[in-house]
Amino acid sequence: MADILAETVHPDDLKKFEKIYHEQLYKNDVTPKAQFDYSWCLVRSKYASDIQKGIILLEELYRTHEEGRRDYLYYLAIGNARLKEYAKALGHVKAFLSIEPGNQQVLTLQQTIKKKMEKDGLLGMALAGGTLLAIGAAIGVGIRLAKALLCTKI
Amino acid sequence: MSAGPYNYSYIFKYIIIGDMGVGKSCLLHQFTEKKFMADCPHTIGVEFGTRIIEVSGQKIKLQIWDTAGQERFRAVTRSYYRGAAGALMVYDITRRSTYNHLSSWLTDTRNLTNPSTVIFLIGNKCDLEGQRDVTYEEASKFAEENGLLFVEASAKTGDNVEEAFLETAKKIYQSIQDGRLDLNAAESGVQHKPSQPGRTNLNGDQAGVKDNCAC
Repeated sequence: MADILAETVHPDDLKKFEKIYHEQLYKNDVTPKAQFDYSWCLVRSKYASDIQKGIILLEELYRTHEEGRRDYLYYLAIGNARLKEYAKALGHVKAFLSIEPGNQQVLTLQQTIKKKMEKDGLLGMALAGGTLLAIGAAIGVGIRLAKALLCTKI
Repeated sequence: MSAGPYNYSYIFKYIIIGDMGVGKSCLLHQFTEKKFMADCPHTIGVEFGTRIIEVSGQKIKLQIWDTAGQERFRAVTRSYYRGAAGALMVYDITRRSTYNHLSSWLTDTRNLTNPSTVIFLIGNKCDLEGQRDVTYEEASKFAEENGLLFVEASAKTGDNVEEAFLETAKKIYQSIQDGRLDLNAAESGVQHKPSQPGRTNLNGDQAGVKDNCAC
């Protein structure tokens, strides 16, 4: 029970909301509420695969259910931060703040995420992330080129 | 990982509950930041705040979960009641409906917390005397009948805000001293001094590890 990113869902709660979601899924009639309740639990799971699933469900809600967008953005930020996908998490926070600039709850979340990044020593890395991606892309191109050359030789 | 000494002896878990718009987040903000948030949008899901206080010479870290009042969040916010040592139940003295819903909030609290959980009733917005819709006497009687602590407070002026949070902690601390609150119970909502930083407990709760900044 340390903070908003460290807190984890009780397995009983996860099971409870999973059951509701799956019952609705079976009938092919999932309400945004059931999907949100379930994903809210998933992104607080101890397991990365659950968090990942929660993010996918929230992204789908974000596309299909406009009314709840601020809720979905908030929990997308939490889910991504818990997976250490800090750039994505901060992107969601930024998107939220562009609509509600002074929202204290989201400003606090932003601070919490940045603190966690500092602890992980990743603040600098996120900034360098762009460069790394560029290098990665360059290497990718190089490998493809090399393969192409090899193929032509054979 | 730093292994510096903790500067608190206990962690108490609190929840803040009550209807939408009664000022739960503003009470939390006033308590943790000593500031009034004039423009307070609806809370999404739950918000978290913390502050270290002192009771009988013991430093105690309060970890406070402020729940969204909107009905659509209620199914999941209920799961935050589990293991709360203190529950601050808030209504708005200028809106009778928020007072009328107290029995439903109380039922939830009783069902989802421990018998030892301290429940504190707060009538917020007492600075708006002219718009009062619930008398002090009536609420006070309700609190007495249900064994709750009670004050009227104002998140705006800060009146009685500190008192409500501190009195709750005193009562919890008393329960520990009297042995009514079992610290070893899984969901007591109280953790004793985490004396071995860097070690996680059996619940997988990493509070001790991640929180040695003691902020």
